[in-house]
Amino acid sequence: MPLVLPLLLAVLLFCIGVYGVLARRNAITLLMSFELMLNAVNLNLVAFDAWRLDGLATGQTLAVFVITIAAAEIGLGLAIVLLLFRGHGHVDVDAARDLVEVDHRVETIDRAEKGTDR
Amino acid sequence: MIATAWRVIGVGFSLLVVLTAALLYGVEPQQTAFTHGARVGRDVFITFDLRTDDLTVLMLAVVGVVSACVQVYSIGYVRERIASYTALVTLFTAAMVTVVVADNLFLLLIGWEVMGACSYLLIGHYWERRDARSGAMKAFLMTRLGDVGFLFGIFVLGLGYGTFKISELGESPISSGTLTTGTLLLLVGVVGKSAQVPLQTWLPDAMPGPSPVSALIHAATMVAAGVFLIARLYDVFTAAATTLTVLAIVACVTMLFAALCAMAAVEVKRVLAWSTVSQLAIMFAGLSLGTSDGRHAALFHLTTHAAFKGLLFLCAGVLLHEVGTAAFVVLRRYTRRGALRKAMPVTFVTMTIGLASLAGVPGFAGFFSKDAVVEAAWLHARDGSTLGWVVLVSVCLTAALTAFYCVRLWLWVFFRTPALAGALGAFEDDDPMVDAEEPDTSKLHDPSWLMLGPLVLLAVGSIGLGYADGVHLNWGVALVTTVLALLGALPAYSLWQRGADPRPVVLEREFGVDQAYYRIFAVPVRWSAQLAVAGDRDVIGAYVRAAGRTGTLASQGLRRLQTGNAQTYLTAAVIGVIALAILAGVIGS
Amino acid sequence: MTTALFSIAGAMAVVAAVLVVTSRRIVHAALWLVVALGAVAGCFGVLHAEFVALVQILVYVGAIVVLVLFAMMLTKAPTNPLPGLTTGRSPFAAAVALVLALILGTGVVVAFGNEKVKPVPAGSAESVGNAVFRSWVLPFEVLSVLLLAALIGAIVLSQRSGRLSEPSEPVSGAEGGDD
Repeated sequence: MPLVLPLLLAVLLFCIGVYGVLARRNAITLLMSFELMLNAVNLNLVAFDAWRLDGLATGQTLAVFVITIAAAEIGLGLAIVLLLFRGHGHVDVDAARDLVEVDHRVETIDRAEKGTDR
Repeated sequence: MIATAWRVIGVGFSLLVVLTAALLYGVEPQQTAFTHGARVGRDVFITFDLRTDDLTVLMLAVVGVVSACVQVYSIGYVRERIASYTALVTLFTAAMVTVVVADNLFLLLIGWEVMGACSYLLIGHYWERRDARSGAMKAFLMTRLGDVGFLFGIFVLGLGYGTFKISELGESPISSGTLTTGTLLLLVGVVGKSAQVPLQTWLPDAMPGPSPVSALIHAATMVAAGVFLIARLYDVFTAAATTLTVLAIVACVTMLFAALCAMAAVEVKRVLAWSTVSQLAIMFAGLSLGTSDGRHAALFHLTTHAAFKGLLFLCAGVLLHEVGTAAFVVLRRYTRRGALRKAMPVTFVTMTIGLASLAGVPGFAGFFSKDAVVEAAWLHARDGSTLGWVVLVSVCLTAALTAFYCVRLWLWVFFRTPALAGALGAFEDDDPMVDAEEPDTSKLHDPSWLMLGPLVLLAVGSIGLGYADGVHLNWGVALVTTVLALLGALPAYSLWQRGADPRPVVLEREFGVDQAYYRIFAVPVRWSAQLAVAGDRDVIGAYVRAAGRTGTLASQGLRRLQTGNAQTYLTAAVIGVIALAILAGVIGS
Repeated sequence: MTTALFSIAGAMAVVAAVLVVTSRRIVHAALWLVVALGAVAGCFGVLHAEFVALVQILVYVGAIVVLVLFAMMLTKAPTNPLPGLTTGRSPFAAAVALVLALILGTGVVVAFGNEKVKPVPAGSAESVGNAVFRSWVLPFEVLSVLLLAALIGAIVLSQRSGRLSEPSEPVSGAEGGDD
């Protein structure tokens, strides 16, 4: 079996994951896209392990580690998504702009207009 | 306390000058060098030499007496900023003394410039008033213009003769071109300082200054410094015929011009200012004859003029002090009620003496000194000199005009006109409502004797100085000038009696010289100033502002990148990674 | 044989992944993710990494996707098609992904175009176990600490209330009184 086959599959999965991360609005879809990217990495690790056969199964071990880390990451990520939902009432990443620098003046006006929004 | 100290110093210094003059009287002329001087160039020395001779003594006496009178008078006159005022007058006196005793052109220049500075500061004594400020600035700029010529004249003459010592000038031979150039340049400075045509306009505008200052600086001493300078360098000037011709023309034009302007002025001090210009021109006319008679007559006239013009200005100061203004229209209000003359008898009498002396009434000092000039001109003209004739005719005409404006001033200020309605409207053209309120005449009175003393002293001088030179009368000349004075006085009297004061517009506007100067010099300067401001604001400032604005715009643009959207940031990061990868590929391949 | 199997599994994975990122219904996306991850697990199996494949199925399909579904439930994710599926930048994102794929693919082909994977018949769970508990025991322990930290972090984040920024002001009461 040619080595490029799994590698190209990994490339495709990774890029699909990139597209998902960059384009989707829903935060949960974003997390799923992350999983796709991590899987692409795992695929790479396993493929190279099968190619090199170093006897220590380094690639596979690392793949297992990555899966563990992915579990941790998805746990934290979902906690953040829940927090976002609780704060904003939605999980739209595109609409969550808390990082922006706001003029205090404008912010005050906004707050006055919204009134009971919070 | 400080003011008192300065007053003591001022009066004391003036008296010291008088004492010095008295002690030096009759002493042999001598020079004293009190420093070693500085070497300039190969063998030219700038030393600080003093000299004493008859001219020095005469000028010291004039300066000392007038400044003593003015200092005493100022004690009663000046109310605010006494210390600075007295200090400046004292400094001015010292500067004038420096000019008088200097035997070195540079020492003379120092005194000359300090006088100019004091003049500027004293004209602007009432700096709250706009006209005082602008008058001071005008005086400073115009005399400065003349002083540039003066400085270069000193260079030309000093280097031409190889010395800057006044007593050594004229000893060595010099090319006539250098001589003419140097004397003409000096003449520019003299014209500026003595307010002759074409630099005459500053002196009438210097009148917002305190009246004692006008008396001391703008009548008796500083403006006469030009006359003194030419008398001091008379040998040099007589050697330059062209310069003397120019001087004669300037003097003749100025004396007639100023006398005509004085005829139409409606403010006492302005009349006196123009009269000063005119009388200075008479002195220059005497000097321009190039004869020793002319020089003597000019200095004689300088002395008597210092007395009677100082007196007149001090009298105008009394009017200003008591009435608050010296404008005819206001003074007439008091006069119509017959108050002015009766309330201030001493002032009236002394001013009458001063005006009589100025007008050349026989027996007064001005009569003798003016006749001396006329006689010198006549003697010169008789020798076949065209210049002499020109000077003679001009001085005679000026005598008539002088008599006209003196009589006009005297009658209109002090006497109720016999014409109907007290000649209401003769001076009220500008403001018909000005007579609406009746003046309070009850408080009008002669000022304290501190102020009257100098008046009386100078009035005595205005009569007695005519006899100080020994009565020397040419009956023909005396007859002619008396008749001319009468011819000038009669129209003034008849006009007054009819209650009319026709003032031709051209004379009221003083021949439009001020307006012309404004258009020719002030307006372009203002334009160029506006251009410079615009250049600074719109060209240089534009770069500065552009720097700031570029930063602001750039930061606003960059700020737009900060959307707060994490996905955008991530997209940018991925693009950056791709770009780096491509770059690495390109570089690596 | 292996190539064919791998190709089938890979094609399934790619198709499922594409559906994950393009599906209009978010629950469908999660289910397609199961398919994609399962297909990748199949790939692992073909590459003789059976242990990894099992872990993949256990952890991902068994735990992570369930977590995701829970999250959807908690965030009241709609089951009907979403109107605003992608952001306005989606064509741009697609282009970026495409360019990235081209670059990476070219790089992979150029670098490893001629390499072959030798078939290894035996399963290797033993070797993986040996590797983990001998060579990699320290990273393994560190990883356990990391998991603990993530657990605590998730709990802390869940305990927070609402907004992360400043506390809200009692605006409504005051204004109501005025009106």
